[in-house]
Amino acid sequence: MRIIGDTNIPFLSYRKIALSLSLIIIVAGLAYQFLGPGLNLGIDFVGGTQVTIKFRGEPDLDQLRGSMAGLDVGTPTLQRFDEPEKHEILIRVENPEGEEGDFTGPIIELLDRDLNAGLGDAFDLNTQGAQSLTTLLAIADPDGTGLDEEGGAEHYGPMAEAVLSFRKENGIYTSMDQLDTITELSDPVRAQIKQQAAVGEFALLGAESVGPAVGADLKNKAQAAIGFSLIGMLIYIWLRFQLPFGIGAVAALFHDVLITLTALAVTGREINLPTVAALLALVGYSVNDSVVVFDRVRENLKLHRGEALEPLMNTSINQTLSRTFITSGTTLMVVLSLYFFGGDVINTFAFVLLVGVIVGTYSSIFVASPVALSIHKMLASYREKKRLKGRRRR
Amino acid sequence: MEKKVLWRVIVIVAVVAAGVWSLWPPSEKIHWGLDLEGGVHLVLQVQTDDAIKAELDDAAQRLVSFAADDGIDLGTTEVDAESFKFSVEVPADIDREGLDDIIGRSFPDYDVTRAGTSWTLAFKPNIERLIRDQAVRQGLETINNRVDAFGVAEPVIQRQGIEGDRILIQLPGVDDPERVKKIIKSTAFLQFKEVVAGPAADRPSLLAGYAGLPPSDAEVMSGNRTGYTGEILGRSYYLVKKSSIITGRDLRSARRSQDQYNAPNVQFDLVPSAADKFGEYTSSHIGTPMAIVLDGNVMSAPTIRAKITDSGVIEGNYSVEEAEDLALILRAGALPATMVYLEERTVGPSLGHDSVVRGVRAAVSGLVAVMLFMLVYYKRSGLNANVALMINLIILMGAMAYFGATLTLPGIAGVILTIGMAVDANVLIFERIREELRVGKTVRSAIETGFSRAFGTILDANLTTLIAALFLFQFGTGPVKGFAVTLSIGIFASVFTAVFVSRTIYMIMLAGRDRVQALSI
Repeated sequence: MRIIGDTNIPFLSYRKIALSLSLIIIVAGLAYQFLGPGLNLGIDFVGGTQVTIKFRGEPDLDQLRGSMAGLDVGTPTLQRFDEPEKHEILIRVENPEGEEGDFTGPIIELLDRDLNAGLGDAFDLNTQGAQSLTTLLAIADPDGTGLDEEGGAEHYGPMAEAVLSFRKENGIYTSMDQLDTITELSDPVRAQIKQQAAVGEFALLGAESVGPAVGADLKNKAQAAIGFSLIGMLIYIWLRFQLPFGIGAVAALFHDVLITLTALAVTGREINLPTVAALLALVGYSVNDSVVVFDRVRENLKLHRGEALEPLMNTSINQTLSRTFITSGTTLMVVLSLYFFGGDVINTFAFVLLVGVIVGTYSSIFVASPVALSIHKMLASYREKKRLKGRRRR
Repeated sequence: MEKKVLWRVIVIVAVVAAGVWSLWPPSEKIHWGLDLEGGVHLVLQVQTDDAIKAELDDAAQRLVSFAADDGIDLGTTEVDAESFKFSVEVPADIDREGLDDIIGRSFPDYDVTRAGTSWTLAFKPNIERLIRDQAVRQGLETINNRVDAFGVAEPVIQRQGIEGDRILIQLPGVDDPERVKKIIKSTAFLQFKEVVAGPAADRPSLLAGYAGLPPSDAEVMSGNRTGYTGEILGRSYYLVKKSSIITGRDLRSARRSQDQYNAPNVQFDLVPSAADKFGEYTSSHIGTPMAIVLDGNVMSAPTIRAKITDSGVIEGNYSVEEAEDLALILRAGALPATMVYLEERTVGPSLGHDSVVRGVRAAVSGLVAVMLFMLVYYKRSGLNANVALMINLIILMGAMAYFGATLTLPGIAGVILTIGMAVDANVLIFERIREELRVGKTVRSAIETGFSRAFGTILDANLTTLIAALFLFQFGTGPVKGFAVTLSIGIFASVFTAVFVSRTIYMIMLAGRDRVQALSI
């Protein structure tokens, strides 16, 4: 089976159109990023607290906003997380200017105050932990073991763990009756829990809080990682090939990263640490693609000495076209499965790779080689001029 | 089988066996990151300025009381923590040589400047750094004790940062993160103080008899006033002595207990030396109130009814959990300075669980799609590539287990990405072989040239990706580092499997056949 047969497309003839098109997209993208709403930097880089809460039923967003007013740290952003029927909300607040500190505690306390007021002293199955439940059971001793607290903890600990592992799997207890499905519990223990516990309105799925100091730190590190890897690759390709190729590969790379960033800005997706990791993976992928073409060009240069670079490049791109598409295809398959099945946490990561693989495939054909060719021609005419000048002087 | 092929097979079997051996059993060998297992990642900063101020406050008080012991009455003291010094009023008529003597003997860390009646004691060089360092080390130890006592399995607690004033804490599998965070952060500085006056409803009425200003040896402290059922009615203000009778450092142990009405409280025992001091004080102050102060808050101010020596009770309308946590932190010791959270990442167990389920689903569906494609597109050669891919995954997981690398969510993504990119090497080779076949080469020589020509390209392509991965590892943190690790190992594994394993499979396929007419590719 072959998808792409022997082709002979004069890709480089389109280079002016292709490069102009790319340039327009990049400039428009940069304008959008700098003049428009810009990149949505996550708390990893700007600092702040972000809490993901799962609610028992559909939460009342206005009421939540009201509760959060008690924080006194500016307007919190509320945003749905995952599918709507999961009732998950992401609450994000920014730290007051330059102030360190973690707002997870206060956010939880406010929610608890406003939503769980009816619980009183009851044990909250949705926020408290196995250790607390163990202590509670050891004191009450529903099984009548007569053990002291330490012995009781050993007896009741596994049951408490079982109660909590239900929450671990399902995220939240929606009703007390769900305790009936936990077979590890003895009847008196179940009755005791039902008597002393209650199901709170929400459970904490996750929280992230990054202060300004760490945020600045992470930003520097991310920039350093991207900067150094760009330089590293430029040097490697320069050494292995020639300068025009190095510049061509790096141009393709900038092209891919800038367009992907534009896609992130337009979709308003949040940029956090995993997104940067995805961008760097994309950098690797993009160069990989360009290098395969260049390798072929180098090989053909050896085989057909004296031939002009442009037709050789065209032949090389055509020869590697099949590989380019198949590799992009298999990578796209896994990236798509990551995009569709990977879940909300990894979705932006997958999005970056998705856009990056498509743009990267395009750039390895329409950007890397054309730029390399243009630079090569520029260098050649510069040398020619120098040579002529030298002759005249003589 | 030819000897050359046999050797290759032995190498491959050995590598796969090593991979499986280091991986088995996977549930024990693969370390799950906090983002998959659930848990808390914290970075705290020790406010070492606190420790500096505490040392200066303490030194000023010590100087006044040492001087008093020798019959020298000093005036007021003033602490300037920002310039690491304190000054004391020295009346003109006192025994200056005696005071010099005391300073020389008991304050070796200070330089003295005498300016008339105001003497200034400042830290000698390096003392500041020493105190800060000590504060961080003490904080580290205290947090270690607390986490230990709370019973978290496999915690990570490390000192961090350029200034060395940060503490990194990782607690996997915690299901009640807010409780643990409170336990870690509480300063838990316990003091027992003599009550001079109070309680009063506000500050002015408390100080009415003192012309509005507390005496130099006393200070105002407050605490919640609670009703019978624990509801907060307001605040009570007390005038207490600055010096403490005993502090949390004098505690030998503490545990949660309860009073006769089953209300939870905290019982403590004192070390012998403190027990003597406490016994002496309480026996001579029967009938007067004593304030129990925790982190600057008056928890209660019970009246001393009898001599107390080696044990006592702290009451404060605690829930069972609060009493338990207070006992725990009192046992573990106070923090020498307050802590500020710089970074916190909590992943609830259910979110981590969800991520694992979805990550595995994405990996499996991606893997199946790629393998099916390879099979359809390259037929038996596709099977060859798929075997190489499976071996690749075994090497990747085995190497991760061997190096003790942590599997994070981006790490899973790295594995998935490796699947997509690993077949790239095979694609490069197969496309090259097809080309060679098209120009009319024999199967054997097409394979030969295909592999040798593709090798350089594979090397170049993978080395550039490796450069990106290495910088990612160098500058990455947490989960991102995990991604860099999987990506790097994946690159090595895929070069090995595509170049070495696939070649060997072809050798086996073609072995014993003299003239091979067609290759399934």
